[in-house]
Amino acid sequence: MADLRIDLAGIKSPNPFWLASAPPTNSGYQVQRAFEAGWGGAVWKTLGEPILNVSSRFAAVSYNGQRVAGFNNIELITDRPLEVNLKEIYETKKRYPHHAIIASLMVEPKQEKWHEIVKRVEDVGVDGLELNFGCPHGMAERGMGSASGQVPELVEKQTYWVKEVARTPVIVKLTPNITDITVTAEAATRGGADAISMINTINSLAGVDLDTWNTIPHVAGKGAHGGYCGPAVKPIALNMVAECARNPHIQVPISGIGGISNWQDAAEFMLMGATGVQVCTAAMHHGFSIVEDMIDGLNHYLDDKGIASVKELVGRSVPRYSDWGNLDLNYKIVAEINNDVCINCNKCHIACEDTSHQCIDLYTENGQPMLKVREEDCVGCNLCSIVCPVDGAISMVERQSAIAPMTWNERQLLMNSLSK
Amino acid sequence: MSDFLQSTEEIKKVDDFLDSGFKIQYVYENLSGMFVEFARQEEVVHLQILTADARKYFAAKLQEQTLLQ
Repeated sequence: MADLRIDLAGIKSPNPFWLASAPPTNSGYQVQRAFEAGWGGAVWKTLGEPILNVSSRFAAVSYNGQRVAGFNNIELITDRPLEVNLKEIYETKKRYPHHAIIASLMVEPKQEKWHEIVKRVEDVGVDGLELNFGCPHGMAERGMGSASGQVPELVEKQTYWVKEVARTPVIVKLTPNITDITVTAEAATRGGADAISMINTINSLAGVDLDTWNTIPHVAGKGAHGGYCGPAVKPIALNMVAECARNPHIQVPISGIGGISNWQDAAEFMLMGATGVQVCTAAMHHGFSIVEDMIDGLNHYLDDKGIASVKELVGRSVPRYSDWGNLDLNYKIVAEINNDVCINCNKCHIACEDTSHQCIDLYTENGQPMLKVREEDCVGCNLCSIVCPVDGAISMVERQSAIAPMTWNERQLLMNSLSK
Repeated sequence: MSDFLQSTEEIKKVDDFLDSGFKIQYVYENLSGMFVEFARQEEVVHLQILTADARKYFAAKLQEQTLLQ
C-alpha cells in the first residue's frame, strides 16, 4: 500500500483527507467521530465572537435526479463561546495526537483581535491556523470573511498580524468571489502565509419557489445570498488551485477545497498542485464513512501507477496547464462513431446539427439507420461525445495534421514580424 | 459552399502563389479576415483569406518562408 501521509507546511496528517471548516467540524464529538472514521485532519468550524444563526440554513440544487449537485448555505461561523470550542479541541487533540487539527479563525480586521485569538487558540495545541477570508454571507456584511478577502491589502495585513504572534503554520483561506484569485493568493504570501487554501463558497441563491415566490432557502419569507459549494463548483475550484500552483510568485503549499466528493476528485486536485484536500458537502451528503472509499481508492490508484507516496502526485499536471495562447492551433482530433455500439438516439446528430458544425450525417445501410462523421468538417469540439449516452459509441481520435504545430503566441510573433 | 471546400480553395491559392515564385511580403488581419500581399520582383498580388483552416495553413507557410530566409 502507498504511503498516504502528507506534510502541508509543517502540518502532518496520516492522509490527505481533511474535513473543511463547516458544520461537520462544529464540535469535538463530530471531529472525533470523523477521526475514528478515517479522516486525516479537520479544520474546526470557524472560531470568532459567537454569532447568532437563523433557522432554515441550507438548500441544495438537484439536477436530473442527482441529489445535491450543488449546495447552498447561509449558516455563519460558530455560535459557541470560544472556551467551549477550545476545551473540545484540547480534548480531541489529546485523544488523536497524530491527526491534524487546524483552527479556522475569523475576527474583525484589527491587529489586537487577531493577536488575542491566535494566542488563545494555539495554547490548546492546534497544529495550524486557517484564516477565514472567504465566507461570503453574513459575516461579510460585517467586514469579515470575503469582504476582507476581496481586498489584497487587507489579506496581506491581516496575515502579517497573525504571523507576528503565530507559532504554528498559517493557512490563508481564499474567496473565489474575486476576478483573479492569484492576486489575493500573492497578497497572502506577502503577508507571510505558510500555505493557502481554496476555494471558499461562491455567492449564490439556490432558487425561487414558483408557488410562494419565496427564495430558497427563506427565513420567514425573506432570503439572502448564501455560499455555494458541492460537486457543481469543482471545476471552478480546480482551475483556481491550478492557477495558483502555476504562478511563480506563489511558492507555498495549497490545500484544495471545492466539490471534492471521492478519491478521483482528490487525486485531480493533487495533480493540479494541492498538497492535500478538504471536504465538506460530500460528508454532509453521505456521512463521515465516505473517507473509507477515498482512502482505499487513492491507495489502489497509487499502487496501480507504481507510486510509493501520495506526495509524488502533487503538481504533476501543473506543467500541462498553461494559457490558451500556448495551445497548438494545428492539433487535430475528430469524432468517430462506432455504429455497432450506437443506439441511434441521434443526440449527437441533433447537437452537431443545431449547435455545432453540422458534420454528422444520417444515412441508411441495409435498412439500418447509421451515423457518420464527415471528418473534413469536424472541428473536434467533443460535443457529440459529451451528449452521447452510450460509453464507447463515440470516440475522439487524433489525426495527423498536415501542418507543423504552432501556438497562437508563436503565430502572432510571426505575423508581427511582417507588419508594416 | 462548405467551410472545408472554401478552405481547400483558399489553401490552393496560397500554394499556387508560392509555387509560382511569389513571396509573402505583408499580412494584416481585421474584421473581414486576413489580407496577404505576395510579391515576385516588381509584381504584387493580394489575397483575402476568410476561412480559419486556410489562415492556419498560411501561418505555417509563413513560418516555412521565415525559416528559409
